[in-house]
Amino acid sequence: MFFHIVLERNMQLHPRHFGRDLREKLVSKLMKDVEGTCSGRHGFIVAITGIESVGKGLIRDGTGFVTFPVKYQCVVFRPFKGEILEAVVTMVNKMGFFAEAGPVQIFVSNHLIPDDMEFQSGDVPNYTTSDGSVKIQKESEVRLKIIGTRVDATEIFCIGTIKDDFLGVISDPGANA
Amino acid sequence: MPRRRDCNDDAVHEEEEEEEEEEEDESYRRRKRRRSDFIDDLAEEDDEDDDNGGTGGSGRRRPRRRTASEFFDLEAAVDTDDDEEEEDGEDDFIVDGGAEIPDEDGGRREYRHRLLPQEDQEEDLEELTRSIKQRYARSAHVEYDEEATDHVEQQALLPSVRDPKLWMVKCESGHERKVAGRLMQEAINRGSELQIRSVVALDHLQNYIYIEACKEAHVREACKGIHNIYAANIKLVPIKEMTDVLTVECEAVDIARGTWVRMKRGTYKGDLAMAVHVNDMDQRVIVKLIPRVDLHALANKEGREVPKKKAVIPPPRLMNIDEARKMKIFVERKQDTRTGDYFDNIGSMSFRDGFLYKTVALKSTRTQNIRPTFDELEKFRQLDEGGNGDVASLSTFFANRKKVRFMKGDHVIVVKGELSNMKGHVEKVEEDIVHIRLDQKDLAVETLAFSDKELCKYFEKGNHVKVISGLYEGATGMVESVEGHVVNIISDITKERLQVLADKVVQSSEVTSDLTRIGEYELHDLVKLDNENFGVIIRVHSEAFQVLKGMPGRPEVALVGLREIKEKVEKKGNAQDRFKNQFAVKDMVKVIEGPYKGKQGPVKHIFRGIVFIHDRHHLEHAGFICAKSQSCELIGGSGENCDRNGKPFSSRLVPLRTPSRAPQSPMRSSGGGPAMSYGGRQRGGRGDDALVGADVKIRLGPFKGCKGRVVAIQGTSVRVELEAQMKVVSVDRNHIADNDSVSTAFREPYRHGLGSETPSHPSRTPLHPSMTPIRDHGATPIHDGMRTPMVDRAWNPMSPPRYNWEVGNAASWGSSPEYQLSSPRSTAYQE
Repeated sequence: MFFHIVLERNMQLHPRHFGRDLREKLVSKLMKDVEGTCSGRHGFIVAITGIESVGKGLIRDGTGFVTFPVKYQCVVFRPFKGEILEAVVTMVNKMGFFAEAGPVQIFVSNHLIPDDMEFQSGDVPNYTTSDGSVKIQKESEVRLKIIGTRVDATEIFCIGTIKDDFLGVISDPGANA
Repeated sequence: MPRRRDCNDDAVHEEEEEEEEEEEDESYRRRKRRRSDFIDDLAEEDDEDDDNGGTGGSGRRRPRRRTASEFFDLEAAVDTDDDEEEEDGEDDFIVDGGAEIPDEDGGRREYRHRLLPQEDQEEDLEELTRSIKQRYARSAHVEYDEEATDHVEQQALLPSVRDPKLWMVKCESGHERKVAGRLMQEAINRGSELQIRSVVALDHLQNYIYIEACKEAHVREACKGIHNIYAANIKLVPIKEMTDVLTVECEAVDIARGTWVRMKRGTYKGDLAMAVHVNDMDQRVIVKLIPRVDLHALANKEGREVPKKKAVIPPPRLMNIDEARKMKIFVERKQDTRTGDYFDNIGSMSFRDGFLYKTVALKSTRTQNIRPTFDELEKFRQLDEGGNGDVASLSTFFANRKKVRFMKGDHVIVVKGELSNMKGHVEKVEEDIVHIRLDQKDLAVETLAFSDKELCKYFEKGNHVKVISGLYEGATGMVESVEGHVVNIISDITKERLQVLADKVVQSSEVTSDLTRIGEYELHDLVKLDNENFGVIIRVHSEAFQVLKGMPGRPEVALVGLREIKEKVEKKGNAQDRFKNQFAVKDMVKVIEGPYKGKQGPVKHIFRGIVFIHDRHHLEHAGFICAKSQSCELIGGSGENCDRNGKPFSSRLVPLRTPSRAPQSPMRSSGGGPAMSYGGRQRGGRGDDALVGADVKIRLGPFKGCKGRVVAIQGTSVRVELEAQMKVVSVDRNHIADNDSVSTAFREPYRHGLGSETPSHPSRTPLHPSMTPIRDHGATPIHDGMRTPMVDRAWNPMSPPRYNWEVGNAASWGSSPEYQLSSPRSTAYQE
């Protein structure tokens, strides 16, 4: 799920950036710094949409660096248990497949793939129904449900299932081609 | 004894029957009278005693005597009274009779004793019923009393100083019973001359028998002339230990239908079985087993009668009756009279649903502490699919388990009783009692106490858990699904599905693969298996390792035990890639040919021209890929690599380099060397800066022998901060010697640089803009030198590599050599 929230961060700025465009520098640094990062609490920070406020800078002893507390608005993405997501399959193997929904990697175990879908190894490993009508392979888009999330310091990893109503392939690159 | 009971029961019947019985009784009585006669002789007073107030607690001795007398009456010739005294205790133990039974028995016998004359006189029914009533009232009373026997009375039975002592006498191994029997015979023959009281031979104790006697001399006397006994070796058993000698550890055999047991002996030794029907009376149990039957052997046997005893035990396999029929084995279909179930009989074996139903003695099964493995349960379940088998059997398994570690906060589900299937969480654990609070809001007012057997841990899909025992011990993963008591977990590391019993799982947030170490070998170590074979440990089981062998082209995984590993390879070599680029451990390489073409990752091990690469996205073999160094390509600014590696050891030629640094890695060592060649970009003499911070020893001059750290270089002299004295001195460059043991202060930044090199690579570009400050910094070498070790370390823990540039540790760029490397590289990136 996406959220638009306000976060705060202490930014350290090298004295060489002090000048007219200090604020700009600060913002660009902030963007570089936080966009794409992930925290367990808030999830992935997708984009900074605005700066709320920049506090007073504090010169750190001995280094000349200045610390600014910056409040910024950002869009975060945090996957939740039970959430339905659409994701792109990135890798298929006999244990299941990996899919990505934006920054989140989701693993769907073969036990969580409908029983009628079988793993087909080969050049393009895929899961196919017995009648061949539905195929999950790399680049397929699937709709899945998250059944569990694991939050590491720098990553959120999810396990998903497509063994449920209305879940499964939503567009098949093989079919379009 | 059963006979006697019958007799009592019969007595309650109608008179007609009574008449008939009379005759039966007559013969019995005749025998009885003979016995009672001598009982009377022996212990008339005792009997009287009993009549008056005889309760179970009235003493141990007497009942024992009873048993003995009974024994002699039924099985042995009539003896003199004195002998009895000797024998009784002994018999008691050999017969293995409990104290209670004879006790009760004794009581009963007396009634009969009194009753019989009445019968003789053919008393009327009324009289009889009355007497019977009386009798049963009595016996009930007696039983009650027995139950009420409390600790104090028990204590009173314990041996005291006044009682005869127990002596431990050595005898020949295997002859314990024989010796005891000899002594018994001796007692019969010699009567009261033999002054010992009893002899005990314990089945579980070899080489010794116990003799009860007042004096050691009596024991010696008794042992005289008996073979296989070593009377020279007599030990007194301390009073405290006397009870232990004769304590029978009674295993409370609590076996019910559906309990898991294990077979103790025979073909099925160690096999798991399920008790189907328990007959407490004759201590037999019908168990359900997976048959180990060799149909071929059976067919042969039927056909040609070849009684060839096979040494090999056939593997367990469910019996297929049709198959057996095809092989012309005679199969008989029978209906069990008791249960009405149909069984297929082959010879003496009966089968149903593929399982073998076998009647075995309770003693030949092990009932305590059975922990069926998951596989075994699975086998049993296969056929029971859908039936009541799953849950029921598993729940009995749970009832059977020894110790469950419930902890406060654990999520549990009730598996037994009227509240079953209620979920809750543990509030408090007291021994076996677990207090839980139900999740249901309206029921959550107070905690409920459950026996731990009634509860089972409960997990939900998506829980992150850790396996705490069993095959997968230590593994962590996410719960994929829950089937009854079985939790399916998707391992974090391998993404495999593990099936584990809920009992063996706890909620946890940590992420580990498994065990990571046995002995000195750890996960991901490179080990030598023998002179030719080596490999990387990719998985640690509880007793073995999975090793990915160093065979490029085809992944071969071997399961090796701890002993099969010869040694750990610590050597960190380097190798050349296809384009003759040198690379070392931790460098990024890409496989450019072979089955793993396209895979890339940091090199973890290099050995004999074989590299082990760890690709995070490679799911098999814990991400390890084995390839020839020749089929790899060093990635990450390989252009410079050629350049630098063209003269990898040139740095050695540079005067005043620390020798220990040079050979470690060409990449690293080149820091100093090329510095000269890049001189155009960097200030001249920059290479010397590498010396700054180095620990040196002064060879000549007034400070000869002193050690110190170089803080600055000024022309041909260096400023050295002495270790021993609080001062900085100027020494001629030629008067110092590089210390072999380069201080850690120096190395620290080094190591860091290396580790971070790979991941930080993409962020090299931003490094570049800050080149200017570096130069500025360089202008004040003193500052440089002082900062390096300290600043670097200070920053490391906080800042991931990507932040390096903005964290602005400019000082370290100037001084630590790895950054010198990277700066030229980064230019390449930009272009």
